[in-house]
Amino acid sequence: MILKIAFRNTFRQKRRTILTALAMIVGFTLLSITIGLSDGAYGGIIEMFTRNRTGHIQVHRAGYLDKPSLYETIDGYAAIGETIQGTAGVEAWTPRVYAAGLGSVGEKSTAVQVIGIDVARETQATRFDKKVIEGSVLAETASHEAVIGKGLAKIISGTVGSEIVIFSQGADGSIANDVYKIVGIAESGDDATDRVACYLHIEDAQELFVLDGRIHEIVVIVSNINHVSKITDALEARLNNSTLEVSPWQVVAKSFYRAMKTDQQGDAISRWVIMFIVAIGVLNTVLMSVLERTREYGVLKAIGTKPTQIFWLVVCEVIIVTIGSICVGVPLGVLANYLLSISGITYPEAITYGGMKFTTLYAEVNVRCLIIPAITVMVSATIVSLFPAIKAARIVPAKAMRTH
Amino acid sequence: MEQNQKSDVIVTEGVTKVYAADGIPVNALNGIDLTIQSGEFTALVGPSGSGKTTFLNIISGLDSPTEGKVWLAGKVLSEMSGNELSDFRRDNIGFIFQAYNLIPVLSVEENVEYIMLLAGVPKAERHERVIAMLKSVGLEGVADRQPTQLSGGQQQRVAIARAMVSEPMIILADEPTANLDSKTGADLLEMMHRLNAETGMTFIFSTHDPMVMESAQRLITLRDGQIDSDETR
Repeated sequence: MILKIAFRNTFRQKRRTILTALAMIVGFTLLSITIGLSDGAYGGIIEMFTRNRTGHIQVHRAGYLDKPSLYETIDGYAAIGETIQGTAGVEAWTPRVYAAGLGSVGEKSTAVQVIGIDVARETQATRFDKKVIEGSVLAETASHEAVIGKGLAKIISGTVGSEIVIFSQGADGSIANDVYKIVGIAESGDDATDRVACYLHIEDAQELFVLDGRIHEIVVIVSNINHVSKITDALEARLNNSTLEVSPWQVVAKSFYRAMKTDQQGDAISRWVIMFIVAIGVLNTVLMSVLERTREYGVLKAIGTKPTQIFWLVVCEVIIVTIGSICVGVPLGVLANYLLSISGITYPEAITYGGMKFTTLYAEVNVRCLIIPAITVMVSATIVSLFPAIKAARIVPAKAMRTH
Repeated sequence: MEQNQKSDVIVTEGVTKVYAADGIPVNALNGIDLTIQSGEFTALVGPSGSGKTTFLNIISGLDSPTEGKVWLAGKVLSEMSGNELSDFRRDNIGFIFQAYNLIPVLSVEENVEYIMLLAGVPKAERHERVIAMLKSVGLEGVADRQPTQLSGGQQQRVAIARAMVSEPMIILADEPTANLDSKTGADLLEMMHRLNAETGMTFIFSTHDPMVMESAQRLITLRDGQIDSDETR
């Protein structure tokens, strides 16, 4: 009966109920859009960051991530790669060799990071071919070719067709030096990387650094980024090799991940501001409603309704309006996020995040952008209804029935 | 205080109520000692401001006395919690208010049924009792109507049905005929007399209505918050 009275009470002052519901619907939709845009933005950043650079999961020799070294290598990577490829959810994998050196074109020299790649696999996994903005991609077989970063090309005046000499130290302690023909200029989206990156065919890099078929890193791409944690565990179990370390992108790119999380927390503050404004509106209307019905609550109490039942009557009225508002807010939130996921919002100027440039902000339609607003609206409306509900429950019947 | 557990339904001892009106204390009741026995048909009379409604509110636990004690059916009201008081009122007291005070969002049938629902009476029994009670107050054809669709007299009949349907020990009525025409008032009064005779319920009225005063078995006159006279006929 309390629920019945609460339900009917919500339709007594239709205008007030509609205003309260509107505040909730607007709050819900705004929250949904905020989360959709935030998830869309971070989803895009993560996808671009992992696809272009780190991959979703990396395999190294244990300890390499903490202290990268030329000597911390993985043997027999082809067999490991086959195991990785056979793991459910894995889309592609690619091996890499990393070493530092000195690169010279003509009389200009600078520090370079040599990155030995399997061209075919790298193209499949991280779209390496799309990074080459001038010239061509490395040949698929070792042919003493190099693709250098855009920034590096500028520093050492390297052009397509010129030669780069690389000096370094081999894994056996010998002096490593060789000449490579620059066949392309690459732009990864990360300026810091592009100032030092010198891509060689993996076999050329292994030969230069006397690695005898060994590598430093295997990059794994998965088909669904949300399953990274599960696939990381599966890879660890399948590889079953204590000398290897399997790390998800959140561990590989710790500082990037932390910065992103901090940004997301900043977004959460804006969500709470929206909800605070909505909550104040709801509190105001519920308080007015309780004030108007003081006499009625007095009568209910006089004829035997318990204070706790009066309390739940007020809370139920708010919950009924909230459920109705959420039912209206859900399709609105989905529609708004869907439209924004197609058209996006174009930034007045491109913004850079994690070294990558973004020109358009797209929303994402997911369960989070409905669940979080629903919970937030429900919790905040219920919380703000507590004060009026307690006020109604504490009414002294004789005093309440004297009010008009 | 010694009580006769069999027949003393309401016992008050030194009941005093002081209100603060604009910061100035006003004595609404001044040390009232009174005993009302079961089955009495009592009218509380007196000029406006004499303390009739305040007394009814205090003996029903709708308000608390500043001083003194109230025993209702042998229980001290001031010793009960809010929820216990509500349960006690639900099970033992029926209220009839001057302004009817029906629940506007419930139909006539639901208004009458409400108290039994709170008391956990099974649905079939509730329905049966509501129909019987509406019949006894002459409202069998309006069960599905909303209170706003009824005349004042009909609304007061619904209030009486609501007050009596759970067969409480006491019916407290605050100026029940004040908003009714003489004919309707007389009909209702006759009906309450009949129910009093049939069920043995205790009726206590506060009233200015000479018709109610004449028909009361006991007439208690209040003046300035004190009992001025107490006459049993």
